[in-house]
Amino acid sequence: MRRIWALADKDLLQTRRDKLAGLFTIIMPIAFTLFLGLIIGTGEQAYPLVLADQDKGDAARELVRGLRGSEVVSVEVVGVKEVDERVDNGQAAAGLIIPKGYSEAVAAGRPAELTVVRDAGSSGAQTAEQEVRTLAGQQAVQTRAATAATEAVAQAYGIENADRLRRDAAQAVAQSLSAPAVTVGTVQSGSSGGEVPSGFDLTSTGMIINFVLFSTMTAGVALIMERRSGTLQRLLTTRASRGELIGGKVLGMFILTFIQQILLIGIGALAFGVDYFNDPAALLLVMISLSALVSCLGLLLATLFGSEQALIAATVLISMAWAAMSGGWFPLEITGPTFSAIGHVWPTAWILDAMRGIILKDYGVADVLPAVGYAFAWAAGFFLIGVWRFRSTEK
Amino acid sequence: MTAHALLTFENVHITRDGEPVLSVDALEICRGETLAVIGPNGAGKSTTISMLSCLLRPSGGDARICDHSIGSDSQAVKESIGVVPQDIALYGDMSARENLHFWGVMYGLTGDELARRVDEVLELITLTERQKDRVDKFSGGMKRRVNIGAALLHKPKILYLDEPTVGIDPQSRRSILDGILELREQGMTILYTTHYMAEAQELSDRIGIIDHGKLIALGTHEELVKLVGEKTEVHLGVDKHLHEVAETWRGIAGVGSADLEDEGMLASLLVDDANAVLPAIFQAAETAGVRITSLNVVEPNLETVFLHLTGRALRE
Repeated sequence: MRRIWALADKDLLQTRRDKLAGLFTIIMPIAFTLFLGLIIGTGEQAYPLVLADQDKGDAARELVRGLRGSEVVSVEVVGVKEVDERVDNGQAAAGLIIPKGYSEAVAAGRPAELTVVRDAGSSGAQTAEQEVRTLAGQQAVQTRAATAATEAVAQAYGIENADRLRRDAAQAVAQSLSAPAVTVGTVQSGSSGGEVPSGFDLTSTGMIINFVLFSTMTAGVALIMERRSGTLQRLLTTRASRGELIGGKVLGMFILTFIQQILLIGIGALAFGVDYFNDPAALLLVMISLSALVSCLGLLLATLFGSEQALIAATVLISMAWAAMSGGWFPLEITGPTFSAIGHVWPTAWILDAMRGIILKDYGVADVLPAVGYAFAWAAGFFLIGVWRFRSTEK
Repeated sequence: MTAHALLTFENVHITRDGEPVLSVDALEICRGETLAVIGPNGAGKSTTISMLSCLLRPSGGDARICDHSIGSDSQAVKESIGVVPQDIALYGDMSARENLHFWGVMYGLTGDELARRVDEVLELITLTERQKDRVDKFSGGMKRRVNIGAALLHKPKILYLDEPTVGIDPQSRRSILDGILELREQGMTILYTTHYMAEAQELSDRIGIIDHGKLIALGTHEELVKLVGEKTEVHLGVDKHLHEVAETWRGIAGVGSADLEDEGMLASLLVDDANAVLPAIFQAAETAGVRITSLNVVEPNLETVFLHLTGRALRE
């Protein structure tokens, strides 16, 4: 056991002294978490809408008020000339021009026109335009309903001056429509207390998987370099058995990836506000299973490839593809059922589900056990093939 | 196996893809003995070391070290051996001390004994002052010394040195050879491979010549020379033509031949023992009125022995 520790300790010492290893194991995952997390955000951000009001009438003011209250767009009132400019240079998702005569047309029940300025390819612009259509349509419906009701009442009771009645009716309709007839509640699947996953919940966990897989490169290259420099052969002339050599290598990789996880999870929790510690015991189990999986994979890869270049290429390919297919880059929920099923062949998809379950769904030890068991099964397979390969290559 | 034999070969052979790469019928290395194995590249020197280090299993036969079989008792064998590989098998990003400490643990040392042995070996390889420096900052010679030191930590009963002076400057080479001589004086049993004849001659008690995987000759330097019957060359320069005196020289007992060159101004003689025949050669020259102006005696060396045995020079 002492020799196994010494081998692992030696590998960790060499990794500590390798500046590139620090870049790949810590700095890059943090940078990617931040970058992708900011891009994804919470999914609830409002699209900027620039608005020019040339009408200034009651209906125009009412529409602006409605848009200001919207969660879909954030309104900034500008001059007409600025609308095109701001949309063109990407400062606004869309622009809205309320032309003169809008309020009069709405009040008279005539078709009123609004101009939306948008970039044809922008999905944000489409959403903003839809919000404008909804609110403007709602406003037209209110006005027409009030007008129709007023005319019916005035005709029935022979009222000649119905202006006051029209205003009262408009207010009543608006009040009535302000309380929706049907409420559609949206619940985030599995969120505790309706909690919505932020971009960092997704990217922090995803990048942990991605870059812990990447660490197989550091560990694998170390083994290949040992083979090339002759130290591996020399180790085999000492009292260290092949089993101890394999144990030391795997333990070194395990400790490296476990420390990497501690750092990335700590930074994820402190800097990005990810709730990793809802159930520390469950989290620990998931971390152990991920490190076991990756260290055994590292052993296998190092025995499969004879050169550093081949190993690096394979590791980059495997870690990227595996992380992406497992939901490390984007949630598998947004993919089709076939992709999601293929993704869940890989144990990393299960580990990701378990991690995100701890963060968002109050998963406990019992909930993560299937993922942990699945990961350990894969780790055992990698280990056995890796040992067989090691024994045959180091004969 | 003789009582004092530490390493014995018993009809060992290794084949690779059906082709024989090593075949040694019988060989013993005694305790405290230094055996140099010389041969050209690819002759089987490193294969021999690999096999004796339990890295290669013999296809047939066995070798025993301290009475442990390399085939069936490799763990016990590994406790008795120290292997200095041909390449620098160290961790360049670790210091000399860290390297020695690590290899000490691999050889089973712990605690105070480990620390003490690391100190002793650092002193032996004269790197105590530089013990905290990274190995990849060392010169080739210093790396070689650490490479040897790592194999000495556990006080092995036999030390294998696989071409330890390849690719280093003469000063470092001298330092390493002196270190090996010191180990030899301390009674260490050493198996040393090289293709430098002079090193083999200087360091070893006996020399084995290996070619195409076969041990073709074994003995002391003198024994090997006698074995192939090589004679000493005596080259003489004179001030007059030698035609007449050459005939006289050929008649001296112990002189095999006397050939003339440079229109009779130079003579090359093959003699059994230069010391024995030189007075007679000088006497004959003086009698003939010929003055000897130069003399060069070339005793048969390993190079000539190797050439005689294999039909080619060692470096070919």
